[in-house]
Amino acid sequence: MSILRITNLKTWFPTRDGIVKAVNAVDLEMKETERFGLIGETGSGKTILGMTIMRLLQPDTRVEGEIVYKGHDLLKLSEEEMRKIRGKEIAMILQNPTTSLNPVLKVGNQIAEAIRLHQGLDKRAAKEKVVEMLEAVKIPSPEKRVNEYPHEFSGGMRERVMIAMALACNPTLIIADEPTTGLDVTIKMQIVRLMKEVTKQRSMLFITHDLDAAAEICDNIAVMYAGELVEYAKTEAIFKNPMHPYTQGFLNSLPNRGLKPIRGMSPSLIGIPNGCRFYPRCDCAEENCKINHPEMVELGNGHLVRCLLHDRS
Amino acid sequence: MHQITKITGYIAIILIVLSFNFFLPRLMPGDPLSFLTGDPSMDMPIVLDEETRAKLLVYYGLDKPLLQQFADYMHNILHGDLGWSIYFNAPVSEILIGRLKWTLLLLGTATALYMTFGILLGAISAWNRGKKRDVGLLVSLLSIGSFPPFFLGMLLIILFCVNLQLFPLFGAKTPFMRYSSPLDEATDILYHLVLPVTTLVICYIGDVYLLMRNSMLNVIGEDYIVTARAKGLSEWYILRKHAMKNALLPITTMIALRVGFMISGMIFVETVFAYPGVGRLLFDAVTYRDYPLLQGAFLVITLVIIAANFVADIIYVRLDPRLQHN
Ligand SMILES: Nc1ncnc2c1ncn2[C@@H]1O[C@H](COP(=O)(O)OP(=O)(O)OP(=O)(O)O)[C@@H](O)[C@H]1O
Ligand SMILES: [Mg+2]
Repeated sequence: MSILRITNLKTWFPTRDGIVKAVNAVDLEMKETERFGLIGETGSGKTILGMTIMRLLQPDTRVEGEIVYKGHDLLKLSEEEMRKIRGKEIAMILQNPTTSLNPVLKVGNQIAEAIRLHQGLDKRAAKEKVVEMLEAVKIPSPEKRVNEYPHEFSGGMRERVMIAMALACNPTLIIADEPTTGLDVTIKMQIVRLMKEVTKQRSMLFITHDLDAAAEICDNIAVMYAGELVEYAKTEAIFKNPMHPYTQGFLNSLPNRGLKPIRGMSPSLIGIPNGCRFYPRCDCAEENCKINHPEMVELGNGHLVRCLLHDRS
Repeated sequence: MHQITKITGYIAIILIVLSFNFFLPRLMPGDPLSFLTGDPSMDMPIVLDEETRAKLLVYYGLDKPLLQQFADYMHNILHGDLGWSIYFNAPVSEILIGRLKWTLLLLGTATALYMTFGILLGAISAWNRGKKRDVGLLVSLLSIGSFPPFFLGMLLIILFCVNLQLFPLFGAKTPFMRYSSPLDEATDILYHLVLPVTTLVICYIGDVYLLMRNSMLNVIGEDYIVTARAKGLSEWYILRKHAMKNALLPITTMIALRVGFMISGMIFVETVFAYPGVGRLLFDAVTYRDYPLLQGAFLVITLVIIAANFVADIIYVRLDPRLQHN
């Protein structure tokens, strides 16, 4: 059964320089207990997609389309109804744990407030639950650490706190935004293992640059480029048989695959030209790639790609 | 270590202030006796002959060299002796203590009110940035804040005391009143307090409001506010528990300085409302060239300001857990 179905989602920011089209006609479906990877280079709109689902963007943002969660369109809920979903049904782990934890509040209280709000526990019960959560994310001596402030935690420990915070109310869906970025290799592997463990019975939208982490955790992977999804397939298929030239380039830019960067720069999201968005940087581009915007096509086995080279229609 | 530097700093500041306090009045034109001897430009009836004048100068030590005067001054202050008021003919410390309670009442009430409301309104304004509520607050607070205190004080007197006769015209208490109960007395004092406090609050709230609004606008964009929203917390809760403390952090010291700015307003307000506080006393001391009194009043006011800074320091450290451990 699908837990989240996004149809034709557009997130546009009106700015002085023009409309920034950060998310453009994204379709996506997540099954129950599916771990869904979302990868793509910086500025491709991954965070904005996650924030759009949570409805955390500033009010003047233009959002269109459907985000159906358990049968309800989140975009149609009132703010009050949405608050009952946030943290309780869908939890989000924000991108940067250093700036995403409140520096003047005790870590324990920052976790407890969600528990008290959604589960109506009193102070003491909530605190017990917090200790339990810190244990679950393997933070040593949790009874002591609940009373500490974020600056007393290392980067890896802060990330664990963020994870504990997200897990606190036992959400069905977790949106994790680059939880492994900025950590050194051993810590990163620990966090990846932890993420995998705590999401065994849940769905997760796992946003990352880190393909190793995505390969380790995710069932399926979508590749995002300039606000669009350009490829979607089973994790294995993405790595063994990437079909989109951008996915191929992205994989080749990894250290263990030749460290060959894609030429050119990611495009501006203002005044996007017709045609394929990857056209100016694509080595396989043909004449009509410049004119025609490719649609997502299925190559069989659920492997989708947005590329005219594979579009036989 | 940090504490020691802080305390040394405060001691140094007090010493510097004491020196200023000594030299500043002596830089003013005229001397205290020119007033008593009936300076023709001052239109005063008392006339002292040269002999008495010389005696008085000796009595007050004003004939000694400046440095000697300074040494005496420091010595006496350290022994709690602030000198003898020339005009009131009483010990300065006694006069000051009698006046200080009124000033502290006025200053304390006004400070508590304008800070609380300035901070609260600034926060609410920023939280509703660009909306009607924000614009309304911004326009009204900035426009009422542009009145000078003495002018506003007089306006209030004309409106509420003369025309509407709602509040007493002057003083801190009704003269010669016999109170039937302490409550009665408190009510009377409160009545006298309303207009002076209102004047100060109106004149100084805009400043704190703007500081808080700006600081809060920065906090609103922080990631941890998004985190708080992602937990499903309500806006009001986030404002109170997550944003307030962080927004106050960078401005506690600046807000404490505002207490210093308010002193000048307080002198005007106490004068306009004939409120028997230190500000009014300072005004009188200047008029009568009463050096010892002037110095005493300055000293007390400075100590009040230093105390305000001290409190701000403590609050700052309490607000920011990152400072408690280093
Ligand atoms: N409030 C905003 N107004 C205008 N443009 C915005 C706004 N927020 C984000 N953007 C733009 O939207 C684009 C997508 O940003 P997003 O943060 O989703 O990228 P990302 O894929 O998460 O990148 P990273 O991997 O660096 O986190 C960026 O080009 C960014 O500049
Ligand atoms: Mg991002």
